[in-house]
Amino acid sequence: MDGGDRDVFERSLRHAVETHSGGPLDAALLELGWTDALAAHTHEAVSILFELEGSLHASSSALDHVLACSLGLDVPPTAGYVLPPLGRRSPPGAVDGAHLAVRGLGTAGLLARETTVVVARAVNTEVAFLVPAADLVLRPVRGMDPELGLVEVSGTVAKDALRPEVVAPSWPAAVALAQLALGHQLVGAARTMLELARRHALERVQFGQPISGFQAVRHRLAETLVAIESAEAVLGAAWEDGSPTTAAVAKALAGRGARTAARHCQQVLAGIGFTTEHEFHHYARRALVLDELFGSSRSLTRELGTELLATRRLPDFAPL
Amino acid sequence: MDLDEFRRSLDDWLDQNEHDLRADPAAKDTLDDQMAQLAKVKRLTYEAGFMRRGWPERVGGLGGSSLLRAYLGEALTSRGLVEPGIYSLTEVLAPTMIDYARPELAATMVPRLLRGDETWCQGFSEPGTGSNLASLSCRATRTEDGWSVTGQKVWTSLAQYADRCVLLTRTGDADSAHRGITALFVDMDSPGIVVRPIETMHGAPEFSEVFFDGVVVPFERTLGEEGQGWSVAMDLLPYERSTALWHRAAYLQQRLGSLLQAAPPGELEPADVGEVAQLLYALRARSRSTQRRLAAGERLGPETSIDKVLVATAEQAVFDLVADGLATGVAVGDDPASERWRREFLYSRAATIYGGTAEIQRNIIARRLLDLGSDR
Repeated sequence: MDGGDRDVFERSLRHAVETHSGGPLDAALLELGWTDALAAHTHEAVSILFELEGSLHASSSALDHVLACSLGLDVPPTAGYVLPPLGRRSPPGAVDGAHLAVRGLGTAGLLARETTVVVARAVNTEVAFLVPAADLVLRPVRGMDPELGLVEVSGTVAKDALRPEVVAPSWPAAVALAQLALGHQLVGAARTMLELARRHALERVQFGQPISGFQAVRHRLAETLVAIESAEAVLGAAWEDGSPTTAAVAKALAGRGARTAARHCQQVLAGIGFTTEHEFHHYARRALVLDELFGSSRSLTRELGTELLATRRLPDFAPL
Repeated sequence: MDLDEFRRSLDDWLDQNEHDLRADPAAKDTLDDQMAQLAKVKRLTYEAGFMRRGWPERVGGLGGSSLLRAYLGEALTSRGLVEPGIYSLTEVLAPTMIDYARPELAATMVPRLLRGDETWCQGFSEPGTGSNLASLSCRATRTEDGWSVTGQKVWTSLAQYADRCVLLTRTGDADSAHRGITALFVDMDSPGIVVRPIETMHGAPEFSEVFFDGVVVPFERTLGEEGQGWSVAMDLLPYERSTALWHRAAYLQQRLGSLLQAAPPGELEPADVGEVAQLLYALRARSRSTQRRLAAGERLGPETSIDKVLVATAEQAVFDLVADGLATGVAVGDDPASERWRREFLYSRAATIYGGTAEIQRNIIARRLLDLGSDR
């Protein structure tokens, strides 16, 4: 995508995300051709849309399309995807003898689907099952961020009743792409929190001056920008090297960075940021939940450390 | 020559000349030894042409992208052939000479620095001038013979080895702040200069106090114009936060790799290791994009303060992990490996102090990148 095309694409996506959220945004994305762009221009389609969703507090079922695009399974295009359970990146399905046990999450769109795709761990690879939504228990989640519209998915299904499974060897790649999408969304949310706090610091006067003049305030906001730029830099590196390890690092840094942003920005916003009159709380809530999808910053960090201690070798990351 | 071609031919050459490039096995890794090793490696890489890549032809270079310099420093550092801090001074001082010295002066002097014939130092900080650089008071006055410099500098790296000094002086009124500063290129063997190395907690006398008493500096040794010293300093700092910083990141990566090899099983917490590795990922990714911007001819500015915060944070995190994983060696070990880990741990404490403190970097980020206005 060249610079001019990219600008047009971004403007039209921005308009869609500014004016819609949820189901209407899904419809708008389809109409805009975002789903087609996803296959041809994955980097731009994912990074632009998800950063916008993060910064404008919108939600959609775009993550389903990201998984569909990456897994490339021969399934009906109307099928929804079951995401890993909270905090994890492992597949949501587990085969236990004659049964498939399902424990995971879904985007809001899942409630309207007749068929779901459940990826399950098998020996050395992953397999995907098509499971009728009616056979699963779907619970619309309120929780920390009711507006995100997550759905909790659970159930045990007799394997024989399902259409034969399809091998899904690209699960790690699908996880990596979802992590990049969520990483951009977290960065978007963190940038908005920073901007809300920055504006407040410039306007709020105490002791006869804007509080933006106080070093304690300035350093919290500077710290937030450093955290955001760290995540952004590794997101860029992950797109460049295509490695699942780098994508996981990017997701972890974005999750931790958004938590850092929430902590510092809430403190700078002080009283008003604790009220529902101010929009801050929407972003803070979202950041906490997004950090838990496809591996939390905590679990991804521990997993990376465990792997490095097992191999006792550092990969040559971000070579020139 | 493009980066991939440079990388291949440099790596081959380093493999083949490993024996000649290695430090003398009898050396004890003191600062004297490190300086001798640095001079040798610079001479050999200059003669083989690698050290000349990425520098303009008018100062003895062979042209090409600054990425070649970034890779050379990375390769020398990660093979343990040079100590990155003393190596990277070239990356800070040579661009300043190229940008601000009279062309003939730059053409004469820069090759000497690149070839390792000379060591240069940077006279910025003073006893009363740390974070507030614009308050410096080392005075230069006009005389018939040239500038006459009187005053004191401190924290001047490698001054006791240095042949020349890029020196910031006060030429305006005492209260002229950043407007009344002039940069000079001073011969360190000039009469009236006394250098006194400072003993530091990490045990290497890397920094010195430098005293100037009526030191005469010819007018043609002025860098830029009179009163332009602040620009010289401000243009130098982004170099300190770009290529030199990439070299430091390569060093930190090499040390974290060595720690993973050296730490006894069970001494390191997976979550801690993961977090430090992520900090290094972030530093490398950020610094790489800065290298690319520099190579593309972009002017670097206050955004490099983010790179500087990342490198200082990563350096202390790596060596905090060392202090955990090799606690016995760091605390009570007297073997050479333990002594090195201890020295590096102690040096890492300075990472948030030198080259602009962690607080000054955050002030720059707040004022210049977040547009929060002045804090005074």
